[in-house]
Amino acid sequence: MKILLACSSGMSTSLLVNKMKEAATAQGKEMEIWAVGQHEVPTEMEKADVVLFGPQMRFLKSKFEDKSKELNVPIDVINIVAYGRCDGNAVLQQAHELLTNK
Amino acid sequence: MNLYQKIESKIMVLGDKLNNNVILMILRDAFMLAFPLTIFGSVMLVIANFPYLDALIGIDAVNALKDMLGPAATATMSIATIFVSLGIGYYTSRYKKVEPLFGAAIALVAFFLLTPFDMTTASGEVVTNVLSIERLGAKGMFIGMFASFGAAFLYAAIVKKNWIIKMPPSVPPAVAKSFAALLPALVTLTVFLILRLVFTFTPWENAHDFVYQIIQAPLTALGKGLPATILAILAIQLLWFFGLHGQIIVNSVLDPIWNTLSLENLNAFQVGEVLPNIVNKQFIETFTVGLGGTGMTLAVVIAILLFMKSRQLKEIGKLSAPAAIFNVNEPVIFGMPIVLNPVILIPWIVAPLVATFVAYFAMSSGLVPLTTGVAVPWTTPVFLSGMLATNSWQGGVLQLVQMAIVFVIWFPFLKALDLRNYKQESEEATNTQEF
Repeated sequence: MKILLACSSGMSTSLLVNKMKEAATAQGKEMEIWAVGQHEVPTEMEKADVVLFGPQMRFLKSKFEDKSKELNVPIDVINIVAYGRCDGNAVLQQAHELLTNK
Repeated sequence: MNLYQKIESKIMVLGDKLNNNVILMILRDAFMLAFPLTIFGSVMLVIANFPYLDALIGIDAVNALKDMLGPAATATMSIATIFVSLGIGYYTSRYKKVEPLFGAAIALVAFFLLTPFDMTTASGEVVTNVLSIERLGAKGMFIGMFASFGAAFLYAAIVKKNWIIKMPPSVPPAVAKSFAALLPALVTLTVFLILRLVFTFTPWENAHDFVYQIIQAPLTALGKGLPATILAILAIQLLWFFGLHGQIIVNSVLDPIWNTLSLENLNAFQVGEVLPNIVNKQFIETFTVGLGGTGMTLAVVIAILLFMKSRQLKEIGKLSAPAAIFNVNEPVIFGMPIVLNPVILIPWIVAPLVATFVAYFAMSSGLVPLTTGVAVPWTTPVFLSGMLATNSWQGGVLQLVQMAIVFVIWFPFLKALDLRNYKQESEEATNTQEF
């Protein structure tokens, strides 16, 4: 699974990237997870299976809704509690559910 | 929570409108184009103006160094409007799905078409056939933005009208492309040439001075005032309280003004004149939101690590500290949480306002030098960023004082939150932490 995280400049979501990678390794899964700023989302989105936005930038979801349908890449906002706790497992789970329900 | 939800949905609309607005989006991208160039100019300017350098290597050597490094700033920040104009033309065309490079060129030429090709020297002599650096930088920023947007949208509209000259298929694609750009370019630029002519009949004699006096000067005067600054900080804090990225939303509107104010300071700094503006982009970034992130929470993280007992706060403190040093504080905002936390609302709003007042008056009274307009990346740690932005040690000290103020204002509220958490934790000692 390739998971793209995005916020204003990809700084705060990159904190989560490491936690998610740790969680993925603990589960014995090989995953590609990376974070970018909103400017790079249109191009980076094409390489991803699923895109998650930082809750502080949750208005990005409406911005990229069309692109999401076009590329068939599901998008959503990261759960606010999981984000605050930097809970890699929970966000991994959220990405997984988003992909299986698409 | 119902009232919160109502306000939240209203604020979401605002965030969506401002962050996702086409004009503001293009403008943000256009300024991003100028950013790396500005950093290059800034680094050279910082080196050339290093404090106490004259005592170290002598005044002659310092002047030689300034002559050597000066062009780096002149070729970047002093003519920043050119890059912003190119960026607006490029991104507008890309958005409108027409050839972006042509659009960028058209936008730049439209800006030049409204620019006077003469200047008056200090002695009153008029020199013709020149482009004055001043008009390509801070002073020309707004006319540059208007001309570029106008030209790029007009150009795209005409291209879409399909008035293009069709070429037989045997003509190489590059040739066909250059002809295709011909008609829309001719029409667009003719419009701007006529505009130039029209302005010669006005009391301002050119579009530059008209836009500067009627629009840019009043707007920047408003933007650098304390009331507007306080309002901006208040809006940023309130937006974050609802968990939305305050700066992204507020900056989309104010960045053009703040950046122009920065460039004005920079021009003055370069030639050693008195800096005109207290408030500008660097003031906002290094002395308001840049003190460990929005709401100046580095001080809060320190308070938590030193004095708080509850496990929940301690964990947030540990998790947040490394990022907070580089002014990233989402873990505090969402982890403490600050979002929708009524206990925190008062210090969250009051502390940055007080700290902003302090910074403003420290500068207006002359205790701390103003920011020079040199671009300092917002992730630069506290103290260092204050020194770089003001080219003085006082700037760093001011940041420490501001942090102390934030610390004191937050302390009682943090303690209350800590006690509540601590009680809960000891009551539910058997449970593992649950949100």
